[in-house]
Amino acid sequence: MADAIVVERLVKRYGTLTAVDALSFAVPHGTIFGLLGRNGAGKTTTLECCIGLNQPTSGAVRVLDLDPTQPRELARLRPRIGVQLQATSLPEKANVREVLELYAAYYGIAPRAAEMAARVGLDDKLDRQIAQMSGGEQQRLALALALQHDPEVLFLDEPTAGMDAFGRRILWTEVERLRAAGKTIVLTTHYIEEAERLCDRICMIQRGAIVADGTPADLVARYGGDATVTIAADGFTPGADLQHLGTWTKAGAQWKLATRGEPGLALAAVVTDANTAGAKITSLDMHRPTLEDAFIAITGETIEETG
Amino acid sequence: MLRMFLVQTKMNFVWYFRRDGEMMFWTLAMPVFFLVLFSFAFSTGPNSGSSAFLVPGIIGAQVLSSGFWGVGVMLATFREKHLLRRVYLTPMPPAVFFASLVVYRVALLVAQATILVTVGALVFHVHIVGNPLEIVAILLLGTATFVSLGTIIGALARTTESANNIASVLTVPLAFLSDAYVPIDRFPHAVSSALRLLPSTQFIDTFRDVSVYGQSLAHYGAWIALLVLWTVVGTAISARTFRWV
Repeated sequence: MADAIVVERLVKRYGTLTAVDALSFAVPHGTIFGLLGRNGAGKTTTLECCIGLNQPTSGAVRVLDLDPTQPRELARLRPRIGVQLQATSLPEKANVREVLELYAAYYGIAPRAAEMAARVGLDDKLDRQIAQMSGGEQQRLALALALQHDPEVLFLDEPTAGMDAFGRRILWTEVERLRAAGKTIVLTTHYIEEAERLCDRICMIQRGAIVADGTPADLVARYGGDATVTIAADGFTPGADLQHLGTWTKAGAQWKLATRGEPGLALAAVVTDANTAGAKITSLDMHRPTLEDAFIAITGETIEETG
Repeated sequence: MLRMFLVQTKMNFVWYFRRDGEMMFWTLAMPVFFLVLFSFAFSTGPNSGSSAFLVPGIIGAQVLSSGFWGVGVMLATFREKHLLRRVYLTPMPPAVFFASLVVYRVALLVAQATILVTVGALVFHVHIVGNPLEIVAILLLGTATFVSLGTIIGALARTTESANNIASVLTVPLAFLSDAYVPIDRFPHAVSSALRLLPSTQFIDTFRDVSVYGQSLAHYGAWIALLVLWTVVGTAISARTFRWV
Protein backbone atom coordinates (compact mmCIF):
# COMPACT_ATOMS: atom_id res chain seq x y z
CA MET A 1 0.00 0.00 0.00
CA ALA A 2 1.18 3.51 -0.78
CA ASP A 3 2.43 5.86 1.89
CA ALA A 4 -0.13 8.01 3.69
CA ILE A 5 2.20 11.02 3.65
CA VAL A 6 5.10 11.81 1.36
CA VAL A 7 7.27 14.90 1.85
CA GLU A 8 9.95 15.52 -0.75
CA ARG A 9 12.74 18.10 -0.50
CA LEU A 10 10.46 20.44 1.44
CA VAL A 11 11.92 23.92 1.85
CA LYS A 12 10.38 26.83 3.75
CA ARG A 13 12.20 30.13 3.94
CA TYR A 14 11.11 33.25 5.83
CA GLY A 15 13.24 36.01 4.29
CA THR A 16 16.80 34.91 4.90
CA LEU A 17 15.85 32.35 7.55
CA THR A 18 15.51 28.79 6.33
CA ALA A 19 13.05 27.11 8.69
CA VAL A 20 12.84 23.83 6.76
CA ASP A 21 15.78 22.81 4.62
CA ALA A 22 15.18 20.15 1.94
CA LEU A 23 13.39 17.77 4.26
CA SER A 24 12.13 14.42 2.92
CA PHE A 25 10.26 11.59 4.59
CA ALA A 26 7.45 9.16 3.96
CA VAL A 27 4.91 7.81 6.44
CA PRO A 28 3.37 4.41 5.64
CA HIS A 29 -0.32 3.89 6.43
CA GLY A 30 -0.92 2.87 10.02
CA THR A 31 2.37 4.29 11.28
CA ILE A 32 2.87 6.58 14.28
CA PHE A 33 5.51 8.95 13.01
CA GLY A 34 7.35 11.39 15.27
CA LEU A 35 9.20 14.57 14.38
CA LEU A 36 11.57 15.05 17.30
CA GLY A 37 13.64 18.14 17.80
CA ARG A 38 14.22 21.26 19.82
CA ASN A 39 11.84 24.20 19.71
CA GLY A 40 12.52 26.09 16.49
CA ALA A 41 13.95 23.07 14.67
CA GLY A 42 11.25 23.31 11.97
CA LYS A 43 8.82 20.63 13.21
CA THR A 44 5.74 22.82 13.33
CA THR A 45 6.46 24.45 9.96
CA THR A 46 6.79 21.00 8.40
CA LEU A 47 3.51 19.88 9.93
CA GLU A 48 1.79 23.10 8.82
CA CYS A 49 2.91 22.47 5.24
CA CYS A 50 1.17 19.07 5.39
CA ILE A 51 -2.20 20.54 6.39
CA GLY A 52 -2.39 23.60 4.16
CA LEU A 53 -1.65 26.15 6.90
CA ASN A 54 1.69 27.04 5.37
CA GLN A 55 2.85 27.24 1.76
CA PRO A 56 6.22 25.59 1.06
CA THR A 57 8.90 27.69 -0.64
CA SER A 58 9.73 24.61 -2.72
CA GLY A 59 9.38 20.86 -2.60
CA ALA A 60 6.37 18.58 -2.69
CA VAL A 61 3.92 17.36 -0.06
CA ARG A 62 1.26 14.71 -0.55
CA VAL A 63 -1.18 13.54 2.11
CA LEU A 64 -3.50 10.65 1.19
CA ASP A 65 -2.41 11.27 -2.40
CA LEU A 66 -3.66 14.85 -2.25
CA ASP A 67 -1.62 18.03 -2.51
CA PRO A 68 -2.45 20.34 0.43
CA THR A 69 -1.00 23.35 -1.40
CA GLN A 70 -3.78 23.12 -4.01
CA PRO A 71 -7.04 24.60 -2.67
CA ARG A 72 -9.26 22.03 -4.42
CA GLU A 73 -7.24 19.08 -3.18
CA LEU A 74 -7.00 20.60 0.30
CA ALA A 75 -10.81 20.82 0.34
CA ARG A 76 -10.99 17.08 -0.36
CA LEU A 77 -8.32 16.38 2.24
CA ARG A 78 -9.83 18.34 5.14
CA PRO A 79 -12.61 15.88 6.08
CA ARG A 80 -10.08 13.04 6.14
CA ILE A 81 -7.56 14.56 8.55
CA GLY A 82 -7.71 15.64 12.18
CA VAL A 83 -5.43 18.27 13.64
CA GLN A 84 -4.43 19.30 17.14
CA LEU A 85 -2.45 22.52 16.99
CA GLN A 86 0.03 23.62 19.62
CA ALA A 87 -2.18 26.42 20.83
CA THR A 88 -5.78 26.10 19.80
CA SER A 89 -7.80 29.07 20.76
CA LEU A 90 -11.54 28.55 20.91
CA PRO A 91 -14.18 31.21 21.62
CA GLU A 92 -13.89 32.11 25.30
CA LYS A 93 -17.61 32.09 25.97
CA ALA A 94 -18.17 28.72 24.33
CA ASN A 95 -18.55 25.61 26.44
CA VAL A 96 -17.22 22.13 25.78
CA ARG A 97 -20.51 20.72 24.53
CA GLU A 98 -21.11 23.61 22.11
CA VAL A 99 -17.65 23.45 20.61
CA LEU A 100 -17.99 19.72 19.99
CA GLU A 101 -21.46 20.22 18.50
CA LEU A 102 -20.21 23.03 16.26
CA TYR A 103 -17.30 20.96 14.97
CA ALA A 104 -19.63 18.02 14.35
CA ALA A 105 -21.67 20.38 12.17
CA TYR A 106 -18.50 21.49 10.33
CA TYR A 107 -17.82 17.86 9.43
CA GLY A 108 -21.45 16.96 8.75
CA ILE A 109 -21.53 14.22 11.40
CA ALA A 110 -23.86 13.57 14.31
CA PRO A 111 -22.53 15.29 17.44
CA ARG A 112 -20.89 12.96 19.95
CA ALA A 113 -20.19 15.58 22.60
CA ALA A 114 -20.69 13.41 25.68
CA GLU A 115 -18.74 10.47 24.27
CA MET A 116 -15.83 12.62 23.08
CA ALA A 117 -15.69 14.58 26.33
CA ALA A 118 -15.49 11.30 28.23
CA ARG A 119 -12.66 10.08 26.01
CA VAL A 120 -10.52 13.06 26.93
CA GLY A 121 -11.54 13.16 30.58
CA LEU A 122 -13.83 16.17 30.30
CA ASP A 123 -17.12 14.35 30.92
CA ASP A 124 -17.77 16.34 34.08
CA LYS A 125 -16.96 19.61 32.30
CA LEU A 126 -19.40 19.56 29.37
CA ASP A 127 -20.89 22.90 30.42
CA ARG A 128 -17.58 24.50 31.36
CA GLN A 129 -16.70 27.62 29.37
CA ILE A 130 -13.35 27.78 27.56
CA ALA A 131 -12.29 30.85 29.55
CA GLN A 132 -12.60 28.84 32.77
CA MET A 133 -10.57 25.86 31.58
CA SER A 134 -6.86 25.31 32.20
CA GLY A 135 -4.45 25.16 29.29
CA GLY A 136 -4.19 21.40 29.66
CA GLU A 137 -7.98 20.98 29.60
CA GLN A 138 -8.19 23.12 26.47
CA GLN A 139 -5.54 20.94 24.85
CA ARG A 140 -7.60 17.84 25.70
CA LEU A 141 -10.65 19.46 24.11
CA ALA A 142 -8.51 20.26 21.06
CA LEU A 143 -7.63 16.56 20.91
CA ALA A 144 -11.31 15.63 21.05
CA LEU A 145 -11.98 18.05 18.17
CA ALA A 146 -9.26 16.37 16.14
CA LEU A 147 -10.75 12.92 16.78
CA GLN A 148 -14.51 13.45 16.66
CA HIS A 149 -14.93 12.91 12.90
CA ASP A 150 -12.83 9.75 13.00
CA PRO A 151 -10.14 10.93 10.52
CA GLU A 152 -7.76 8.62 8.66
CA VAL A 153 -4.69 10.72 9.41
CA LEU A 154 -3.97 12.74 12.54
CA PHE A 155 -1.55 15.61 12.92
CA LEU A 156 -0.65 16.39 16.51
CA ASP A 157 1.63 19.37 17.08
CA GLU A 158 3.31 19.15 20.50
CA PRO A 159 0.13 17.47 21.78
CA THR A 160 1.18 17.21 25.42
CA ALA A 161 2.87 20.60 25.79
CA GLY A 162 1.32 22.22 28.85
CA MET A 163 -0.53 19.06 29.86
CA ASP A 164 -0.26 17.54 33.31
CA ALA A 165 0.44 13.85 33.91
CA PHE A 166 -3.28 13.04 33.64
CA GLY A 167 -3.59 14.75 30.25
CA ARG A 168 -0.44 13.08 28.98
CA ARG A 169 -1.78 9.65 29.99
CA ILE A 170 -5.06 10.36 28.17
CA LEU A 171 -3.25 11.40 25.02
CA TRP A 172 -1.00 8.36 25.16
CA THR A 173 -4.01 6.07 25.62
CA GLU A 174 -5.75 7.67 22.65
CA VAL A 175 -2.67 7.26 20.47
CA GLU A 176 -2.51 3.57 21.42
CA ARG A 177 -6.19 3.22 20.57
CA LEU A 178 -5.67 4.93 17.20
CA ARG A 179 -2.69 2.70 16.50
CA ALA A 180 -4.90 -0.35 17.09
CA ALA A 181 -7.51 1.15 14.74
CA GLY A 182 -4.84 1.41 12.02
CA LYS A 183 -4.77 5.21 11.84
CA THR A 184 -1.76 7.15 10.65
CA ILE A 185 -0.40 9.77 13.04
CA VAL A 186 2.23 12.45 12.63
CA LEU A 187 3.22 14.06 15.88
CA THR A 188 5.84 16.63 16.73
CA THR A 189 7.39 16.64 20.16
CA HIS A 190 10.40 17.73 22.09
CA TYR A 191 9.71 15.17 24.81
CA ILE A 192 12.03 12.25 24.19
CA GLU A 193 10.06 9.94 26.46
CA GLU A 194 6.90 10.63 24.48
CA ALA A 195 8.56 9.98 21.13
CA GLU A 196 10.17 6.77 22.43
CA ARG A 197 6.95 5.49 23.91
CA LEU A 198 4.51 6.37 21.12
CA CYS A 199 6.33 6.38 17.82
CA ASP A 200 6.97 3.54 15.41
CA ARG A 201 9.37 5.77 13.53
CA ILE A 202 11.18 8.91 14.57
CA CYS A 203 12.77 11.64 12.50
CA MET A 204 15.22 13.74 14.45
CA ILE A 205 15.25 17.28 13.14
CA GLN A 206 17.90 19.92 13.67
CA ARG A 207 17.88 23.36 12.03
CA GLY A 208 15.23 22.31 9.51
CA ALA A 209 16.97 19.14 8.33
CA ILE A 210 16.65 15.47 9.22
CA VAL A 211 19.75 14.30 11.06
CA ALA A 212 18.63 10.72 11.77
CA ASP A 213 15.60 8.51 11.36
CA GLY A 214 14.50 5.02 12.28
CA THR A 215 12.62 3.11 14.95
CA PRO A 216 13.39 4.22 18.50
CA ALA A 217 15.25 0.95 19.22
CA ASP A 218 17.15 1.30 15.99
CA LEU A 219 18.24 4.86 16.77
CA VAL A 220 19.39 3.88 20.25
CA ALA A 221 21.32 0.90 18.91
CA ARG A 222 22.97 2.92 16.16
CA TYR A 223 23.71 6.18 17.98
CA GLY A 224 23.13 5.64 21.69
CA GLY A 225 26.64 4.36 22.32
CA ASP A 226 27.69 1.67 24.80
CA ALA A 227 25.96 0.74 27.98
CA THR A 228 28.11 1.52 31.00
CA VAL A 229 28.71 0.04 34.42
CA THR A 230 30.49 2.31 36.87
CA ILE A 231 31.88 0.98 40.12
CA ALA A 232 33.94 2.42 42.93
CA ALA A 233 35.26 -0.14 45.41
CA ASP A 234 38.25 -0.10 47.74
CA GLY A 235 40.87 -2.47 46.45
CA PHE A 236 39.04 -3.25 43.23
CA THR A 237 40.80 -3.47 39.89
CA PRO A 238 39.17 -5.19 36.91
CA GLY A 239 41.11 -8.36 36.38
CA ALA A 240 41.70 -10.46 33.29
CA ASP A 241 38.39 -12.31 33.72
CA LEU A 242 36.47 -9.01 33.34
CA GLN A 243 38.27 -7.75 30.23
CA HIS A 244 36.03 -9.63 27.77
CA LEU A 245 33.02 -7.57 28.94
CA GLY A 246 34.20 -4.41 27.20
CA THR A 247 36.52 -1.46 27.64
CA TRP A 248 37.58 -0.32 31.14
CA THR A 249 38.67 3.21 31.97
CA LYS A 250 39.55 4.74 35.33
CA ALA A 251 38.37 8.16 36.44
CA GLY A 252 39.44 9.05 39.96
CA ALA A 253 38.30 6.31 42.29
CA GLN A 254 35.80 4.99 39.75
CA TRP A 255 36.19 2.29 37.18
CA LYS A 256 33.94 2.57 34.17
CA LEU A 257 33.04 -0.30 31.85
CA ALA A 258 31.70 0.47 28.38
CA THR A 259 29.94 -2.60 27.03
CA ARG A 260 28.08 -3.63 23.91
CA GLY A 261 26.60 -6.59 25.76
CA GLU A 262 23.74 -6.78 28.21
CA PRO A 263 24.68 -4.33 30.97
CA GLY A 264 22.71 -6.24 33.63
CA LEU A 265 24.84 -9.35 33.15
CA ALA A 266 28.03 -7.28 33.08
CA LEU A 267 26.96 -5.61 36.32
CA ALA A 268 26.40 -9.00 37.99
CA ALA A 269 29.82 -10.22 36.87
CA VAL A 270 31.55 -7.07 38.12
CA VAL A 271 29.82 -7.23 41.53
CA THR A 272 30.63 -10.93 41.94
CA ASP A 273 34.26 -10.26 41.09
CA ALA A 274 34.51 -7.37 43.55
CA ASN A 275 32.92 -9.45 46.32
CA THR A 276 35.19 -12.42 45.64
CA ALA A 277 38.20 -10.10 45.88
CA GLY A 278 36.84 -8.78 49.19
CA ALA A 279 36.61 -5.21 47.81
CA LYS A 280 34.18 -2.91 49.60
CA ILE A 281 31.82 -1.35 47.04
CA THR A 282 31.16 2.37 47.72
CA SER A 283 29.18 3.22 44.61
CA LEU A 284 27.65 1.34 41.74
CA ASP A 285 25.81 2.51 38.66
CA MET A 286 24.47 1.04 35.46
CA HIS A 287 23.35 3.08 32.44
CA ARG A 288 21.60 1.66 29.43
CA PRO A 289 21.72 3.94 26.34
CA THR A 290 18.51 5.88 25.80
CA LEU A 291 16.98 7.78 22.93
CA GLU A 292 18.22 10.90 24.65
CA ASP A 293 21.82 9.62 24.41
CA ALA A 294 21.21 9.00 20.73
CA PHE A 295 19.77 12.51 20.32
CA ILE A 296 22.76 14.11 22.03
CA ALA A 297 25.19 11.99 20.00
CA ILE A 298 23.47 12.93 16.75
CA THR A 299 22.76 16.62 17.28
CA GLY A 300 25.55 17.53 19.67
CA GLU A 301 23.05 19.22 21.96
CA THR A 302 20.45 18.34 24.57
CA ILE A 303 16.82 18.69 23.58
CA GLU A 304 15.92 21.15 26.35
CA GLU A 305 17.42 24.55 25.67
CA THR A 306 18.36 24.99 29.29
CA GLY A 307 19.69 21.44 29.63
CA MET B 1 -24.01 23.18 4.62
CA LEU B 2 -27.27 24.61 5.96
CA ARG B 3 -26.71 22.86 9.28
CA MET B 4 -23.18 24.28 9.52
CA PHE B 5 -24.56 27.73 8.90
CA LEU B 6 -27.42 27.39 11.38
CA VAL B 7 -25.28 25.93 14.17
CA GLN B 8 -22.55 28.54 13.64
CA THR B 9 -25.11 31.36 13.66
CA LYS B 10 -26.77 30.01 16.79
CA MET B 11 -23.39 29.79 18.52
CA ASN B 12 -22.52 33.36 17.48
CA PHE B 13 -25.64 34.56 19.30
CA VAL B 14 -25.02 32.45 22.37
CA TRP B 15 -21.30 33.28 22.65
CA TYR B 16 -21.03 36.87 21.56
CA PHE B 17 -24.38 38.23 22.66
CA ARG B 18 -26.23 36.22 25.26
CA ARG B 19 -23.17 35.38 27.36
CA ASP B 20 -21.63 38.81 27.05
CA GLY B 21 -23.98 41.00 29.05
CA GLU B 22 -21.81 44.08 28.89
CA MET B 23 -21.51 43.93 25.14
CA MET B 24 -25.24 43.29 24.81
CA PHE B 25 -26.04 46.30 26.95
CA TRP B 26 -23.77 48.69 25.11
CA THR B 27 -24.81 47.45 21.68
CA LEU B 28 -28.45 48.13 22.42
CA ALA B 29 -28.14 51.15 24.72
CA MET B 30 -25.50 53.18 22.89
CA PRO B 31 -27.69 54.23 19.93
CA VAL B 32 -30.52 55.29 22.26
CA PHE B 33 -28.04 57.22 24.36
CA PHE B 34 -26.81 59.04 21.24
CA LEU B 35 -30.39 59.78 20.17
CA VAL B 36 -31.32 61.30 23.50
CA LEU B 37 -28.05 63.19 23.89
CA PHE B 38 -27.96 64.66 20.41
CA SER B 39 -31.68 65.42 20.33
CA PHE B 40 -31.34 67.67 23.33
CA ALA B 41 -27.93 69.01 22.38
CA PHE B 42 -28.86 70.08 18.86
CA SER B 43 -32.44 71.20 19.27
CA THR B 44 -34.71 73.16 21.52
CA GLY B 45 -37.15 70.41 22.38
CA PRO B 46 -38.36 66.89 21.73
CA ASN B 47 -40.69 67.94 18.91
CA SER B 48 -38.17 69.63 16.68
CA GLY B 49 -37.06 68.31 13.31
CA SER B 50 -33.64 67.21 14.48
CA SER B 51 -34.95 63.99 16.04
CA ALA B 52 -36.37 63.00 12.66
CA PHE B 53 -32.90 63.67 11.30
CA LEU B 54 -31.19 61.74 14.07
CA VAL B 55 -33.17 58.47 14.18
CA PRO B 56 -32.21 57.35 10.66
CA GLY B 57 -28.79 59.00 11.05
CA ILE B 58 -27.93 56.95 14.11
CA ILE B 59 -29.24 53.75 12.53
CA GLY B 60 -27.04 54.57 9.53
CA ALA B 61 -24.01 55.12 11.80
CA GLN B 62 -24.72 51.73 13.41
CA VAL B 63 -24.63 50.13 9.96
CA LEU B 64 -21.20 51.69 9.48
CA SER B 65 -19.84 50.49 12.78
CA SER B 66 -21.36 47.02 12.27
CA GLY B 67 -19.27 46.70 9.13
CA PHE B 68 -16.10 48.22 10.54
CA TRP B 69 -16.19 46.86 14.10
CA GLY B 70 -18.64 44.00 14.03
CA VAL B 71 -17.12 42.35 11.00
CA GLY B 72 -13.73 43.99 10.28
CA VAL B 73 -12.26 44.20 13.78
CA MET B 74 -13.95 40.93 14.77
CA LEU B 75 -12.21 39.09 11.92
CA ALA B 76 -8.84 40.60 12.86
CA THR B 77 -9.43 39.49 16.47
CA PHE B 78 -10.38 35.98 15.35
CA ARG B 79 -7.18 35.80 13.31
CA GLU B 80 -4.95 37.12 16.07
CA LYS B 81 -6.41 34.63 18.56
CA HIS B 82 -5.71 31.79 16.08
CA LEU B 83 -9.41 31.05 15.87
CA LEU B 84 -9.48 31.47 12.09
CA ARG B 85 -6.61 29.07 11.48
CA ARG B 86 -8.38 26.36 13.46
CA VAL B 87 -11.60 26.86 11.53
CA TYR B 88 -9.61 26.89 8.26
CA LEU B 89 -8.60 23.27 8.94
CA THR B 90 -12.21 22.09 8.91
CA PRO B 91 -14.36 21.43 5.82
CA MET B 92 -16.54 24.46 6.50
CA PRO B 93 -16.46 26.79 3.47
CA PRO B 94 -15.17 30.29 4.37
CA ALA B 95 -18.36 31.77 2.90
CA VAL B 96 -20.46 29.96 5.51
CA PHE B 97 -18.35 31.27 8.37
CA PHE B 98 -18.48 34.78 6.96
CA ALA B 99 -22.20 34.64 6.21
CA SER B 100 -23.10 33.58 9.73
CA LEU B 101 -21.05 36.45 11.16
CA VAL B 102 -22.88 38.88 8.87
CA VAL B 103 -26.29 37.42 9.72
CA TYR B 104 -25.48 37.83 13.40
CA ARG B 105 -24.56 41.49 12.87
CA VAL B 106 -27.67 42.13 10.77
CA ALA B 107 -29.85 40.67 13.53
CA LEU B 108 -28.17 43.01 16.02
CA LEU B 109 -28.81 45.90 13.66
CA VAL B 110 -32.48 44.98 13.45
CA ALA B 111 -32.66 44.94 17.25
CA GLN B 112 -30.88 48.30 17.50
CA ALA B 113 -33.08 49.85 14.83
CA THR B 114 -36.27 48.53 16.42
CA ILE B 115 -35.38 50.04 19.77
CA LEU B 116 -34.35 53.35 18.19
CA VAL B 117 -37.51 53.59 16.11
CA THR B 118 -39.65 52.76 19.14
CA VAL B 119 -37.96 55.35 21.34
CA GLY B 120 -38.05 57.82 18.45
CA ALA B 121 -41.79 57.35 18.00
CA LEU B 122 -42.74 57.35 21.68
CA VAL B 123 -40.45 60.10 22.96
CA PHE B 124 -39.63 62.25 19.96
CA HIS B 125 -42.66 61.63 17.72
CA VAL B 126 -40.53 60.54 14.80
CA HIS B 127 -42.45 58.24 12.50
CA ILE B 128 -41.24 55.89 9.82
CA VAL B 129 -43.44 56.65 6.83
CA GLY B 130 -41.55 55.14 3.90
CA ASN B 131 -42.25 51.99 1.93
CA PRO B 132 -41.10 49.11 4.20
CA LEU B 133 -39.66 47.09 1.32
CA GLU B 134 -37.63 50.04 0.10
CA ILE B 135 -36.40 50.73 3.62
CA VAL B 136 -35.27 47.12 4.01
CA ALA B 137 -33.65 47.22 0.56
CA ILE B 138 -31.56 50.32 1.24
CA LEU B 139 -30.60 49.01 4.69
CA LEU B 140 -29.41 45.73 3.23
CA LEU B 141 -27.47 47.50 0.48
CA GLY B 142 -25.82 49.77 3.06
CA THR B 143 -24.98 46.78 5.23
CA ALA B 144 -23.44 45.00 2.24
CA THR B 145 -21.38 48.11 1.42
CA PHE B 146 -19.96 48.56 4.91
CA VAL B 147 -19.44 44.87 5.57
CA SER B 148 -17.42 44.65 2.36
CA LEU B 149 -15.41 47.75 3.25
CA GLY B 150 -15.05 46.62 6.88
CA THR B 151 -13.72 43.26 5.74
CA ILE B 152 -10.83 45.11 4.09
CA ILE B 153 -9.86 46.28 7.59
CA GLY B 154 -10.05 42.69 8.82
CA ALA B 155 -7.97 41.57 5.86
CA LEU B 156 -5.22 44.18 6.01
CA ALA B 157 -4.81 44.84 9.74
CA ARG B 158 -2.13 42.58 11.16
CA THR B 159 -3.32 42.82 14.75
CA THR B 160 -6.52 43.47 16.65
CA GLU B 161 -4.98 46.69 17.91
CA SER B 162 -4.30 48.09 14.46
CA ALA B 163 -7.77 46.98 13.27
CA ASN B 164 -9.23 48.82 16.27
CA ASN B 165 -7.27 51.94 15.43
CA ILE B 166 -8.27 51.90 11.77
CA ALA B 167 -11.93 51.34 12.67
CA SER B 168 -11.88 54.18 15.22
CA VAL B 169 -10.21 56.59 12.83
CA LEU B 170 -12.85 55.78 10.21
CA THR B 171 -16.06 55.34 12.21
CA VAL B 172 -16.12 58.35 14.49
CA PRO B 173 -15.21 61.06 11.93
CA LEU B 174 -17.38 59.43 9.27
CA ALA B 175 -20.39 59.52 11.57
CA PHE B 176 -19.94 63.28 11.94
CA LEU B 177 -19.04 63.94 8.31
CA SER B 178 -21.70 61.81 6.66
CA ASP B 179 -24.95 63.47 7.69
CA ALA B 180 -25.48 60.96 10.49
CA TYR B 181 -25.39 63.14 13.63
CA VAL B 182 -25.14 66.65 12.20
CA PRO B 183 -26.36 67.95 8.84
CA ILE B 184 -23.43 68.48 6.51
CA ASP B 185 -25.27 71.43 5.01
CA ARG B 186 -23.76 73.38 7.88
CA PHE B 187 -20.36 73.06 6.23
CA PRO B 188 -19.31 75.32 3.35
CA HIS B 189 -20.79 74.17 0.06
CA ALA B 190 -17.50 72.88 -1.33
CA VAL B 191 -16.98 70.76 1.79
CA SER B 192 -20.48 69.32 1.86
CA SER B 193 -20.25 68.50 -1.85
CA ALA B 194 -17.00 66.68 -1.23
CA LEU B 195 -18.55 64.80 1.69
CA ARG B 196 -21.30 63.52 -0.60
CA LEU B 197 -18.63 61.49 -2.37
CA LEU B 198 -18.40 59.28 0.72
CA PRO B 199 -20.38 56.02 0.63
CA SER B 200 -21.51 56.72 4.19
CA THR B 201 -23.14 60.01 3.14
CA GLN B 202 -24.74 58.42 0.10
CA PHE B 203 -26.18 55.63 2.20
CA ILE B 204 -27.35 57.67 5.19
CA ASP B 205 -28.97 60.40 3.08
CA THR B 206 -30.83 57.89 0.95
CA PHE B 207 -31.92 55.88 3.97
CA ARG B 208 -33.18 58.99 5.77
CA ASP B 209 -35.07 60.36 2.79
CA VAL B 210 -36.75 57.01 2.17
CA SER B 211 -37.56 56.15 5.78
CA VAL B 212 -38.65 59.34 7.57
CA TYR B 213 -39.31 61.67 4.63
CA GLY B 214 -41.19 59.03 2.62
CA GLN B 215 -39.26 59.51 -0.63
CA SER B 216 -39.29 56.78 -3.25
CA LEU B 217 -36.06 54.82 -3.62
CA ALA B 218 -36.50 55.16 -7.39
CA HIS B 219 -35.27 58.79 -7.16
CA TYR B 220 -31.91 57.69 -5.80
CA GLY B 221 -30.62 55.65 -8.73
CA ALA B 222 -27.23 57.39 -8.81
CA TRP B 223 -26.58 56.88 -5.09
CA ILE B 224 -27.66 53.25 -5.30
CA ALA B 225 -25.37 52.65 -8.28
CA LEU B 226 -22.46 54.19 -6.35
CA LEU B 227 -23.18 52.08 -3.27
CA VAL B 228 -23.26 48.94 -5.43
CA LEU B 229 -19.93 50.01 -6.93
CA TRP B 230 -18.40 50.52 -3.44
CA THR B 231 -19.67 47.08 -2.46
CA VAL B 232 -18.19 45.42 -5.54
CA VAL B 233 -14.83 47.14 -5.06
CA GLY B 234 -14.81 46.37 -1.32
CA THR B 235 -15.67 42.74 -1.90
CA ALA B 236 -13.01 42.38 -4.60
CA ILE B 237 -10.28 43.89 -2.40
CA SER B 238 -11.38 41.83 0.62
CA ALA B 239 -11.43 38.58 -1.32
CA ARG B 240 -7.95 39.26 -2.72
CA THR B 241 -6.31 40.27 0.52
CA PHE B 242 -8.04 38.20 3.20
CA ARG B 243 -5.78 35.79 5.09
CA TRP B 244 -6.86 32.98 7.40
CA VAL B 245 -3.53 32.51 9.14
